[in-house]
Amino acid sequence: MNAERPKFIGARVQRFEDIRLLSGTARYIADIDLPNMLHLTFVRAETAHANIVDIDSSGLADLGFPTWVFTGKDTAGLSMKAHQDYPEMQYSEQPLLAEGKVRFVGEPVAVVLAEDAYKAEDAAEHLLVDYDLLPVVGNMEQARDPSIPPLFDGWSSNVIVQRGMKGGDIEAAKAAAAHVFKRTYKTQRQAGVPMEGRGVVAYYNPADRVLTVWSSTQMPHLVRTYISEELGLPESRIRVVAPDVGGGFGVKGQVFGDEILIGWLAMKTGRPVRWIEDRREHLIASIHARDHQHTLEAYVSADGRLLGLKADITVDNGAYSTYPFTSAGEPGMVGKVLPGPYDFRAYEATFRAVATNKCPIGTYRGVARPSAVFSQERLMDDIAKELGLDPFEFRLKNIIRQFPYKNVLGFTYDEGSYAQALEKMQVLLADDVAEAEASRTSSTKRIGVGIACFIEQTAHGTPDFTRRRVPIETGYIAARVDMAPDGEVTIDLGLQNHGQGLETTMAQVAADALGIRPENVYVRHGDTMTTPYSVGTWGSRGGPLGGGAVHVAATKIADKLRAIAAHLLQTKPDQIELVDGRAVQRDNPGSYVEIKKLARIAQRNVEQLPEGMGTGLEAHASVDGAPDGCYSNAVHAAVVEIDVPTGKIKLRRFVVVEDCGTILNPLVVDGQVRGGVVQGIGSAMLEHFIYDAECQPLTTSFADYLMPLAPEIPNIEVHHIETPTPLTPLGAKGLGEGGAIGPAAAIANAVSNALGVAVTSTPLNMNSVWKLSQHLRETA
Amino acid sequence: MIEITLEVNGVKKTLSVEPRRLLADVLRHEFGMSGVHIGCAHGACGCCTVHLDGTPRLSCLTFAVQCDNSSISTVESLGGTTADHPLQKAFRSEHGLQCGYCTPGFLMTLVPFVDEMVIQKRIPEDEEIREAMSGNICRCTGYHGIVSAVRKAVTDGLKSGAA
Amino acid sequence: MRPASFEYHRATSLDHALELLHQFGDEGRPIAGGQSLVPMMNFRLARPGHLVDINRLPLNVIEIDGPVLRIGALTRHIAYFDNPLIAKYFPAFLDAVHYIGHPTIRRNGSIGGSISHADPTAELPAVAVLYDADIVVRSLETTRKINAAEFFLSAYVTALEPGEMVVAIEFPLPPEAYTGSFVELSERSGDFGMASIGITLEFADGAITKAAMVCSGADLFPIRAPEIEEYLVGKPLASPGSAEAGAIFAASIDPADDHIASAEYRRGLIAELTRRAIDIACTRALERS
Repeated sequence: MNAERPKFIGARVQRFEDIRLLSGTARYIADIDLPNMLHLTFVRAETAHANIVDIDSSGLADLGFPTWVFTGKDTAGLSMKAHQDYPEMQYSEQPLLAEGKVRFVGEPVAVVLAEDAYKAEDAAEHLLVDYDLLPVVGNMEQARDPSIPPLFDGWSSNVIVQRGMKGGDIEAAKAAAAHVFKRTYKTQRQAGVPMEGRGVVAYYNPADRVLTVWSSTQMPHLVRTYISEELGLPESRIRVVAPDVGGGFGVKGQVFGDEILIGWLAMKTGRPVRWIEDRREHLIASIHARDHQHTLEAYVSADGRLLGLKADITVDNGAYSTYPFTSAGEPGMVGKVLPGPYDFRAYEATFRAVATNKCPIGTYRGVARPSAVFSQERLMDDIAKELGLDPFEFRLKNIIRQFPYKNVLGFTYDEGSYAQALEKMQVLLADDVAEAEASRTSSTKRIGVGIACFIEQTAHGTPDFTRRRVPIETGYIAARVDMAPDGEVTIDLGLQNHGQGLETTMAQVAADALGIRPENVYVRHGDTMTTPYSVGTWGSRGGPLGGGAVHVAATKIADKLRAIAAHLLQTKPDQIELVDGRAVQRDNPGSYVEIKKLARIAQRNVEQLPEGMGTGLEAHASVDGAPDGCYSNAVHAAVVEIDVPTGKIKLRRFVVVEDCGTILNPLVVDGQVRGGVVQGIGSAMLEHFIYDAECQPLTTSFADYLMPLAPEIPNIEVHHIETPTPLTPLGAKGLGEGGAIGPAAAIANAVSNALGVAVTSTPLNMNSVWKLSQHLRETA
Repeated sequence: MIEITLEVNGVKKTLSVEPRRLLADVLRHEFGMSGVHIGCAHGACGCCTVHLDGTPRLSCLTFAVQCDNSSISTVESLGGTTADHPLQKAFRSEHGLQCGYCTPGFLMTLVPFVDEMVIQKRIPEDEEIREAMSGNICRCTGYHGIVSAVRKAVTDGLKSGAA
Repeated sequence: MRPASFEYHRATSLDHALELLHQFGDEGRPIAGGQSLVPMMNFRLARPGHLVDINRLPLNVIEIDGPVLRIGALTRHIAYFDNPLIAKYFPAFLDAVHYIGHPTIRRNGSIGGSISHADPTAELPAVAVLYDADIVVRSLETTRKINAAEFFLSAYVTALEPGEMVVAIEFPLPPEAYTGSFVELSERSGDFGMASIGITLEFADGAITKAAMVCSGADLFPIRAPEIEEYLVGKPLASPGSAEAGAIFAASIDPADDHIASAEYRRGLIAELTRRAIDIACTRALERS
């Protein structure tokens, strides 16, 4: 922390970016409009697995307007390669346009360009693709069946990767156990669905040999690097711009083949090219999430202590590996995080990703942890029930209380408030627990209370990725801070802001370090031409790492301001405090210099600088995550009311007690938590991306893919505990994803509690809850 | 091509359009109203809501040719570039937006609701507010901040009306 | 997701609209609120060659005409909420409109559009079938009144011929001692129902004298339940045997078994909604008698 008392960090500062977002003057990808632009429509695979026999574009000649067509033959050799350096991993590449074979419905087969978007869509209908159908690999079971041929040449099976991880002596734990519990839990396939779909616009300027690619992405620098590597252009000649981005949630946190392809097309055609994803293609062909099955075996002592856990984890990855987190990322994450907030000393996990003829799995808010916590916390409740223990008591008996804590896999947890959060929640829910208890006599209306207790590794640093050997490789975030001669500050930030409030929170951080107001700080981001190289905004790193980088860079400038002020006031720099726009002598408040004046001296009246001091007020800083990241913790609770005859659930309450360390802006933190929770409620109750047996998608519009609407959602109650971490400059831990991690587990536990049955899968929609409450109707 | 005259945010313009052009596209491309956002293009998310002759309407389910001689207002008309309409201010103070993509649609759906409540001189129940926004999807806020913003805008409207 | 090309025609009078529809035959479609048609066009699942815009025609009148309440095809859903005639004569109708979509859809969607679109779980087709309404259909040459029970042929398929359009729906006015109810359940409010049940009752001396029942979600279009209508006659309002009625009805249907819900669930849900609809209607009857 800086020496001065924080004035803006922790304050409920209204967001600066809101003005342009509210007034309709924000610029999203579809607002990028260039002269002479071509509009692109993808021709996508209509069948899940087939050889491409022929692509006939002859029908386009008669349309009466110019069109351009490109197929996999034109882009041969260009592909997405998302390899994890595991010896067991079977590699696959996804061509930018399918070459010879398609492997999921929605895979790009060709592109048609025209001078108008409507016409491009007309023309695409005239491109005829002839397929020779192949049998599909439709689910996890088929993918693990050795008699079904692999999706890729040279593969030995459809198991993309299978690995193990362990710590402690699992056999000893099993031998010592008084109770063994074995359960299988499943979480359904989902789509991520930001309200703005994806989109890419590219333009190549031959005069300066610069390729500019606008993309609705969370990671512009990584897009630049991949384009450079794939197209053989220098990174200095590629500019990637993420304009205003209408939500990302991890969906836009991968590099997509279309970002490379559209850059290539702009160069090939010599014209700007634009593609705006439509909703159907977003649902079927951007990124899917979850689709897990976990079999857990817990070893528990006679007095209710967890001794060990064994896990078998399978993820239906779909057809291809996504960049940069790969198909091993999702199941590997489950294996890594299952030890959770509980103290036990033996663990063994086997995780695998399998290939099917479905849309690839990528990162989506929470990444694997909503599924992992669902299994873990359902298991905790199942065990507690069988042992006759209260869910709170059983968790409190096993919760980690000493920090730092080295877990069974060797990961070190920083300071947290695991037990306090549980205890606080217990108090908040006392009345609901009593009411739920009283409803047990009813066979028509049941009330249930469920909790989910979890930790979340946030702000993953480079060592974490090095260990995982994923192509993301690094985890740092950089910021460049510049104070102009008039004292106004610009931050060029390596993060990309798509709803997180970074234009405000980063200004708050800089303002505190520099003794100025946030209004005097302009935060720029999302443009590789102006911002320092960074990995982008994902993985709950904005506050801890981005905020950290801004703090460190701004502090360098503050140090220089203090040195100049000390020189002018004839005192020592450590006697100078920067506050309210002034550099004030600590023990003599009447003695001060305006910071604006110092800024002018540093850059205009440089003759007044102390001897030997360089000119300018510019600083760069980069902050990486700690080797094991830092761990936020939370307890989520759901109170549900179930109408037994129909299976309809009403969510009466949803309560969060969370600890993300230092809070930069409570308005933003509460917003992130609540938004995450409601996405988690969608995962728990509604959202299900469904394929039929032939891997044809069935939920391809918002009429079928159901997301939470306002009437079904209660106000989300949020309570904070603030345990700053020593591992980031400001004590902040990540919090963007946490809200989405707990709801599936909490709601499933509430349903289990209400109905007296073990819930083993999501979504908990009307039909599934009705089925779970069958026994109550029979006895009625 | 059909010639039509539209009055958009008070400005009249006559133009030729293909019948199939969606009102949303015409507002965006011919009138420069980029605050009209297309979220689903099948009438299921509310992002593209505008007012057609004063009534909220999904501009992705409307052909521009249908609107000949109509008056249309978009989010740009509410509080200008400073976003100083009371509901816009309430969205800001209550954190009723994050990425902002759905926001123009929510505003255009909810402004008439807020006005109606102020006329009726009552602060609506949360349930009623949520029902009023049931055709709009927000993926960021979990709706909480939007509900608070509507409540605040109505409360402020009643206060300023009483003053 | 933008529509294929079509030609646009604004009808200046009903006769003009009918002339245009006659001229274009299979290729012509009237457009009113567009809340169902335009999504299909944007997905290019519907591609009419000619759209005949009827929005500016004076077809939005709700009026009593002798033995019927006539509702013009362009009446928007929002109009029913505070309409005294609907409230007085058609309580199940009034219940049903509360389940329709969202505020913006209610302001723009029309009854003619909903009836013509014939979504299997839409509310207004069910209401029309429940009340034995006549769908008034005109073409350039003819006017037909098609009983709702004969109008809906399958999911999204109606008895409309090319060149024809729905101009009004006529609901027979009920007798005095008369009530009804409509219940629906969907995953989210405003969605088309997973299932819905509508009931109307005539009663005297504390007992049901005549009943009608409609169900959406059991078949590809709303169906009546003659067995239950018969079962209910003579039942006391205070104990109409609603649960048994639900069980009997559920056993008689063969609902879809698909990715949205199992047939078993749909049957269970329909049994329960039947019970609830009957109970609500009987409670209302008791309040009125």
